Amino acid sequence: MKLTTRQLTLCAVLTAMALALSYLENFFPLSLAIPIPGVKLGLANIVTVFALYALGPAQALLILFARCFLGAMFAGNMNALIFSLMGGVTAMAAMIALFRLRRLSVYGVSIGGAAAHNCGQVAAAVLTLGNTAPLYYLPVLLGVSLLTGALTGMVAALLFRALEHTNLLKM
Amino acid sequence: MMKRYIGAFLTVLLLMGSLTGCGGSKQVEAQVFAMDTVMFLTACNGDGEAALQNAEAELYRLESMLSRTRENSQVTLLNQASEDFGKGQTVEVGDEVCGLIEQARTFSRVAGGALDITLAPVSSAWGFTKNAYRVPESGELEVLLTHVGMEHVHTDAAAGTAWLDEGTQVDLGGIAKGYASDRVAAIYRQFGVTSGTVSLGGNVWACGTRPDGKPWVVGIQDPNRTEEADAYVGKLHLSDAFAVTSGGYQRYFEEGGVTYHHILNPATGYPAESGLTSVTVVAAESGTMCDAFSTALFVMGEERALDFWRSGAYDFDLVLVTDDGRVLVTDGIADAFEETEGSGYVYKTVS
Amino acid sequence: MSTRPFPKLRPGIWDALVAAVVIVLAVVCAGAFWVRGTLAEGELTAVVSMDGQERERFALSDGEMERTYTNHGYTLHLLVQSGELRVAEADCPTQDCVHTGTIGQAGQSIVCLPARIVVQLVRTGGSSDVDVVIG
Repeated sequence: MKLTTRQLTLCAVLTAMALALSYLENFFPLSLAIPIPGVKLGLANIVTVFALYALGPAQALLILFARCFLGAMFAGNMNALIFSLMGGVTAMAAMIALFRLRRLSVYGVSIGGAAAHNCGQVAAAVLTLGNTAPLYYLPVLLGVSLLTGALTGMVAALLFRALEHTNLLKM
Repeated sequence: MMKRYIGAFLTVLLLMGSLTGCGGSKQVEAQVFAMDTVMFLTACNGDGEAALQNAEAELYRLESMLSRTRENSQVTLLNQASEDFGKGQTVEVGDEVCGLIEQARTFSRVAGGALDITLAPVSSAWGFTKNAYRVPESGELEVLLTHVGMEHVHTDAAAGTAWLDEGTQVDLGGIAKGYASDRVAAIYRQFGVTSGTVSLGGNVWACGTRPDGKPWVVGIQDPNRTEEADAYVGKLHLSDAFAVTSGGYQRYFEEGGVTYHHILNPATGYPAESGLTSVTVVAAESGTMCDAFSTALFVMGEERALDFWRSGAYDFDLVLVTDDGRVLVTDGIADAFEETEGSGYVYKTVS
Repeated sequence: MSTRPFPKLRPGIWDALVAAVVIVLAVVCAGAFWVRGTLAEGELTAVVSMDGQERERFALSDGEMERTYTNHGYTLHLLVQSGELRVAEADCPTQDCVHTGTIGQAGQSIVCLPARIVVQLVRTGGSSDVDVVIG
């Protein structure tokens, strides 16, 4: 993977945005409405979806790792790292696969990513707790991911539409 | 739209929670710490809650009346009167204690003295009452045994009083839990409970049948494999029956490589060596009788126990486990007894 | 010149398919739990109570675990291994709970009288297992 300065800059900006969105998310605690650990809007996924399209899988993955590590460091909670990494990486894998199908819109990719994200988090919880109890939350988390995935897909679509006539996506 | 979805998912979640929770018929349970043991009670149908509450209160009442270690229990007062004032000091113990003493006298007589509530000082000498085990000198036991015997216990049923000869002490522990199971059974009937189990430290009452209509399954602990709590000599399928097991393995200590268990022979003052390792008495009517006879027959040994059973003086059945690896089941409960495959015991039905 | 296709921005039939797959997955998962929940009535469960009050309930199939309970000044260390349970250590004077050994069947229990802690195994389903143990 060879990055142009322009791409590197975009990666940095997107990482910063993802971190900001993760922080912003705390002001919309979805877990209040649905009292289950792991329920959140996943706003940072907007960045991941955008990066996937605008920069490509490798760069998107890079941004994801940077976001996870920096996020955990800022929060001072390295325990959460395994959760966000597991979730993020499975989401990424699912999104790359769906993206490659070339038949899906950002909505489908985003929903698939959100669902995979929750599967990954539950898997992390099962592994760290050594207990299958978190699996119990999976159906609800999947249902929620349908909504949050559609939401991030929608925001991403708006974003692309706004950027359609710029050259940001052409590089 | 979003809210409706969230609502739907929450409903699903709650539903899942309730499904994995309690299902089937309503069963109430209670645990009671009384009479130096823990008691388990379950009740289905009828007013189970009220039955359990009343049963619990009754168990505490019985403990406060019959305990030998509790201050101010009727039994303690009776023992103290003999200790402090000597022979003939009468104590108002009430009709219930009088009745129990007289029942114990009858059981003792029919069992040829193999059980005796006046064995208390001997049991204390061995340290079984306070978990301070020791082997008493034979001379000490001889002296203590002179005070053992139901002839040293007197009651006046009409006055509700009792008195002991000097040096004599009583302990109703050998029948108290059996009596308690009788009382709980009466309370269950009073509140219309038709299904449940009562387990009072080795004393079981199977009330009616299980909710699925089958008899309750009562496992008899394998005396040779006490380290494994799921090792059974066999299982009894019981409904509306009392079952009590006595065995030397239940309480014992070792000294100088010798094992001394808690079931003492009133004739010698030493732990009973009768060739039996466990005796289970099953009967439909009386838990008190089951409790008394399980101890008595353990002391009497195989032959005398079976002779006593064959005499038909009392209506009960037996599961005897011998120290040479035989399990003897009397024919009255042969059909209700389920052998444990691979236990190594030789099973025999006795008639 | 763009090397990648411009993203599709309108949801289509394929997106609906992804959504449908997620829904089906959720429903199948929930269904599996529901089925397991009904079967789980026969699952062996340890019920821990102190002073007669139920404090905790856990399935023995949850794998290996250690639990510590303190009551009336005594501490019990419980060990769950391969569907069986025992008190590994206790500082009570009687040590009855430790001597009880390993239990692994419904109806069995470990009792510590000094600490007034009872661990009972229950199977809420109506299998032919033992209901009560005597002796």
